[in-house]
Amino acid sequence: MEQQTILAIAIFLIAYALIISEKIHRTIVAMIGGALMVILGIVSQETAIHHIDFNTLGLLIGMMIIVNITAETGLFKFVAIWAAKKAKGRPLAILLVLMLLTAVGSAFLDNVTTVLLMVPVTFSITRQLRVNPIPFLITQIIASNVGGTATLIGDPPNIMIGSAVKELTFMAFIQNLMPIALVILALLIPIFIFLFRKQIKTTPELMQSIMDLDEKELLTDKKLLTKCLTVLGLTIFGFFIHQLVHIESATVALAGAFLLLLLTGEHMLEEAFAKVEWPTIFFFIGLFILVGGLIETGVIATLAEKAVALTGGNVTSTSMLILWLSAIASAFIDNIPFVATMIPMIQDMGSMGVSNLEPLWWSLALGACLGGNGTLIGASANLIVAGMAAKEGYSLKFTTFMKYGFPIMILSVILASGYVYLRYLM
Amino acid sequence: MLAYHCNEDVAIITETVNEEDVEFRIHLLQEDPYLGRLKEIRRYFEDNDIYTDALFYIYKNHEYGAIVRKTYYTDFVLALMKHGLLRSVEWMDESAEMQH
Repeated sequence: MEQQTILAIAIFLIAYALIISEKIHRTIVAMIGGALMVILGIVSQETAIHHIDFNTLGLLIGMMIIVNITAETGLFKFVAIWAAKKAKGRPLAILLVLMLLTAVGSAFLDNVTTVLLMVPVTFSITRQLRVNPIPFLITQIIASNVGGTATLIGDPPNIMIGSAVKELTFMAFIQNLMPIALVILALLIPIFIFLFRKQIKTTPELMQSIMDLDEKELLTDKKLLTKCLTVLGLTIFGFFIHQLVHIESATVALAGAFLLLLLTGEHMLEEAFAKVEWPTIFFFIGLFILVGGLIETGVIATLAEKAVALTGGNVTSTSMLILWLSAIASAFIDNIPFVATMIPMIQDMGSMGVSNLEPLWWSLALGACLGGNGTLIGASANLIVAGMAAKEGYSLKFTTFMKYGFPIMILSVILASGYVYLRYLM
Repeated sequence: MLAYHCNEDVAIITETVNEEDVEFRIHLLQEDPYLGRLKEIRRYFEDNDIYTDALFYIYKNHEYGAIVRKTYYTDFVLALMKHGLLRSVEWMDESAEMQH
């Protein structure tokens, strides 16, 4: 093995271990790892830049800007309180409607942004009902990962896969992943009712206090709301037709974001940019360069060769291997670096004789997104919710979440396996 | 402890002390300019890093509610004072009875 290859593997594994250990912020680790790949000559600066997927970054930045400006209007709080009132203030019914709202929001906005919007309003409702917010947070984490599975923009792994494989359009994700996401979501409803029915009880007076709320007062700026809804609608429509008009999803999101900034005026510009999660964006940049180092030194191609040898190039075995490996790995390590590594591996499998890559891509998306429910560290959304809860004095423990999340993850991956087999492999 | 006197021309403020928090009900007698000021207080507590320091609720009968964590009680009362919803605020001995 060449010295450059050994160095690339060492940098990648050390970075990966540090990301998992969470001793140092993952963005710092990924960026230093990426910088080392360039400094040590494993990849040139030009090649490193070539490996950065600007479509993923543009899509994330564009959506963050649109959603953060829309949040200023009070729309998301309004929807949550309106839904809580439709549930007649009953805690279990509210838990279910907030879970469904999280799933829908995750599918069309992205799951990280959605939980950032849902958690504060969840605290507000649970405090008023004087019930424990933890069951609400657990169900929202799980729903965010299932809802995010359904679309190209729903979960970072899907954004990365959709960006890397041009044939997998926004519509293709909906047609292929939404049916199974809906089945899993429908199955979660009775499971959550059974699990949490005794934990979240309140008094009729407190339920009435939810009914007495005036949600319309939460809409703070109706002119801005009209602009945001128009742009959000146009952007989502743009995602549906992006392949027909030969425009990348990032162009749609960024065009939407800057159209909204044009309509709102300059005063929103700085605030909108300040609310973009730059650490996440730079985490992706570092990660793309780290994986780029492995690609350039042939490590990914060798791993793909070994995987193909293990399954004999059989699409069914390879799909199942990818689905379960992605799910189990994503449960214990962040699914973003895992998917960043798997994408070039699957691309290499195509050149090694695996004729039909489509089931492999859907297996990777399903495994990585649903696997995120296995543990508290499985997905970015999980960590964000746990962090927000801890800051407010509510401890969502690793073991507490795993007790619910892991069996649900196994159940959903079994369903996904059946779906992939029946739809693509039979 | 902190004791306060409402500005009776502006608002009627009642509070209920719970185990971990204090629940305020604010009925504004003069909406202009005090509704705007109440919204400023709400924005201040919503825009900071802590979500549950003071949670605000708007009711149908134009009453406003706030559930304030005990550790943020002083901050909330001082915010009411700063925005003219209270007439006075003073430190009192723990044993002294709080006046409204």
